[in-house]
Amino acid sequence: MASIKRNQIANGATFTSVKDDRFKTMKISANIILPLNEKTASSNAVLCGTLVRSCREYPDFTVLSRKLSALYGAELTSSVRKCGDMQMLSISASGLDDRYTLNNDSVSQELSKLLCSVIFEPNLEGEKFVKSEVEQEKRQMLDLIDSEFNDKRIYANSQLVSNMCADEVYGIKRYGTSDNIRAIDENSLYATWKNMLENAVFEILYIGDSPSDGVSEIFQSAFNGLKRTPCSISTQVVKNAKEVKRVSEEMELSQSKLVMGFRTEYAVPDKQVKAAQLMCAILGGTANSKLFCNVREKQSLCYYCAARYNKTKGIMTVDSGVEGNNIEKAEQGILKEIEDMKNGNITDFEISATKMAVINSFYTSNDSVSGIESWYLNQLFDNGFETIEEASEKINAVTKEEIVDAAQKLTLDTIYVLKNK
Amino acid sequence: MNITEVKSQRVGDSYYKINHPSGLTIYVYPKEGYKSTYAIFGTKYGSINTCFSVDDGEKITVPDGIAHYLEHKLFESEDGDAFAKYAKTGANANAYTSFEKTCYLFSCTEKFEESLEILLGFVQDPYFTAQTVAKEQGIIGQEIKMYDDSPDWRVMFNMLECMYRNHPVKIDIAGTVESISHITAEKLYEVYNVFYNLNNMVLCVAGNATVEQVVKIADKMLKKADKHKITNYFEDEPYEIVKDYVEQSFPVSMPLFNLGYKERADKMLNEKELAQTEILLSMLASDTSVLYRNLMDAQLINSSFSYELFEGPGYCSVIFGGESRYPQKAAEMIKAYISEVKKNGLSREEFEIAQKAVYGDAVSSLNSVSSISNMIADYHFNGNELFSYIDAIANVTFDDVTTRLSQMLDNNNCTLSVVKQAADEVK
Repeated sequence: MASIKRNQIANGATFTSVKDDRFKTMKISANIILPLNEKTASSNAVLCGTLVRSCREYPDFTVLSRKLSALYGAELTSSVRKCGDMQMLSISASGLDDRYTLNNDSVSQELSKLLCSVIFEPNLEGEKFVKSEVEQEKRQMLDLIDSEFNDKRIYANSQLVSNMCADEVYGIKRYGTSDNIRAIDENSLYATWKNMLENAVFEILYIGDSPSDGVSEIFQSAFNGLKRTPCSISTQVVKNAKEVKRVSEEMELSQSKLVMGFRTEYAVPDKQVKAAQLMCAILGGTANSKLFCNVREKQSLCYYCAARYNKTKGIMTVDSGVEGNNIEKAEQGILKEIEDMKNGNITDFEISATKMAVINSFYTSNDSVSGIESWYLNQLFDNGFETIEEASEKINAVTKEEIVDAAQKLTLDTIYVLKNK
Repeated sequence: MNITEVKSQRVGDSYYKINHPSGLTIYVYPKEGYKSTYAIFGTKYGSINTCFSVDDGEKITVPDGIAHYLEHKLFESEDGDAFAKYAKTGANANAYTSFEKTCYLFSCTEKFEESLEILLGFVQDPYFTAQTVAKEQGIIGQEIKMYDDSPDWRVMFNMLECMYRNHPVKIDIAGTVESISHITAEKLYEVYNVFYNLNNMVLCVAGNATVEQVVKIADKMLKKADKHKITNYFEDEPYEIVKDYVEQSFPVSMPLFNLGYKERADKMLNEKELAQTEILLSMLASDTSVLYRNLMDAQLINSSFSYELFEGPGYCSVIFGGESRYPQKAAEMIKAYISEVKKNGLSREEFEIAQKAVYGDAVSSLNSVSSISNMIADYHFNGNELFSYIDAIANVTFDDVTTRLSQMLDNNNCTLSVVKQAADEVK
């Protein structure tokens, strides 16, 4: 089993190492947290992508990729996600563990240095980024925004959130807007980078078998000399919906999409979050859930009908792909299952089976590097870290009354329909 | 019962191959320190097997999409559905149908033996009635429509239709709403009885499980099957493609393309040929390649660009694809680059980099119990072996890859498929 160490290495910067000898690979990621803001979301996102394109030592995309390939196909990747009202930029390096290289090469040290240099020693021209690199990354980001429209399930879910949280910070998209991306240049991106170094919260996570002390030191010294005032982390939770908003669009499609957004009242750090998680899983989180068994299997209305709970923001969404003339039937079917749960129509078997399924997914995640990474990242905004054993124990302790209570707190906020023409 | 250990000095792992007396081939790949186990029970039967005979008997033709339909229906038994049974063990279960195989799987961290019993039980226990078959039409109908709205899926099948004149790989795995309307309980039993014969199947288990555990459950659950000769018929497929360009309008804001090179497919590639091809493709089109760089600099692709060797019984092609605002120009640049390296030769330095990258990828995939099980099933059905493939990567030479290049990627035999927004809808 893994051993975990957490150390503060600078003001607002924590290094967590998970030592585990079961994997053939190692991974180190810098997770950089900033407030989600309409003005800065786009430039933060473009910065994140620009940083992994090159650095002072490897000042060109192809030179950097070749270095990575020569390190046994190591990867340097970036991603941007929304965690409640925060924006998280993740820059990760992963590669073969030193034990499996062909000539006893050490991949882990080299990758850690590389990761550190892309963040702290980017490819600059004085106090500017390189124009061509910035332009290339802006184009990629604009493409990425457009491509989210290509997948209609993703698009429909994103439209639901935009409409439901239109007046909240959470309604801002993770990459911001296309207009704001176009406005970025090599000068403004430099200011964005400085802001990140000084004001972001850094969570650095190392998972691997090789000793992490050297890696931790590399990062610690990178923070030396920086004047840091880390941002504070919080998310606005709207506890109940007032009235149901309905939004619909039409398109030339074969299938219609229905997405329903609910306020759940409970969000991190409320102790009822585990009950809300279980309530959502019983409703539509497994192939044995109420939505799967009834809306799909009994009513044959759809191929997918799933519920998802966002514990940071305290919302739950249900989405399905249905025939245009079955939208109303599906909506009624979904609401009926929720009504049933509010009335306490949940069997002991449903509860125990769902608890088992949830705990199974916890333990399964522990058998992969990315699963271990997600386990910790998902708890960054909680009150402290739970081990899998602790989380499982809490899941098992949830009572039927608490699940029914979580269901009773659900209020329908917004219904989004993408209708096929 | 014959149990063989397959060992890899290089990666320090080993697994066991068991020829079970029932006729089933079983693989067990224990992973030390893992709490989860992944099991996959598959048959060499997929969407392309729509015309076949048994023991040289009459040729039988069945509706498109029947393998996938059968996969859905097998979850139901007379005593309830398999998901309800798995609910008692906490296992996470699923299934999928591809062009050449159908697989049923679960992952679990507790009650592995009970879950394996459920898996082996329901897959060997078909139960189809007119009523249960009819009920599935609505569900699969929506699955088909979901894929009809997927530009990635459409761009690929449009390409396959232009690439293959006769081979059923060009037909959607789930069939069409029309073709599945001809599926009956009788037809499902017919294909089930032919292809779900243990001699035509494989069981792969990876993770927190032992050979003894798996054999114990196999002995208890498997019903001995007599071996039959199954012949699959595919009409002769010419070497040439049908058409070199196809385009579809779609509500997308990023156009997509697939550029497919049709390759000879007289026999499946062996481990060596696979390793050579993967290294070659990595040299040509991975993100370290000159081509990738040129495409990016010319703003013809973005990071969604990818390449793939797409191979199965009777079909083989290489597909380059991704999003592009100028798909034609992207395809022209790819073709021009292939002509150039065919004329001027490959770079040794790029070969060495690509070899390490492909090797690293292959070893990394052994982290995951699901990728291990799926790979072993694939290799089994294709007559290959996983560790031999990893060894083959380390042993490929520059000359092997050069020879490989001369045998494939014919610029006169490729199809470009494009999905883009209708001209009058461009914002």
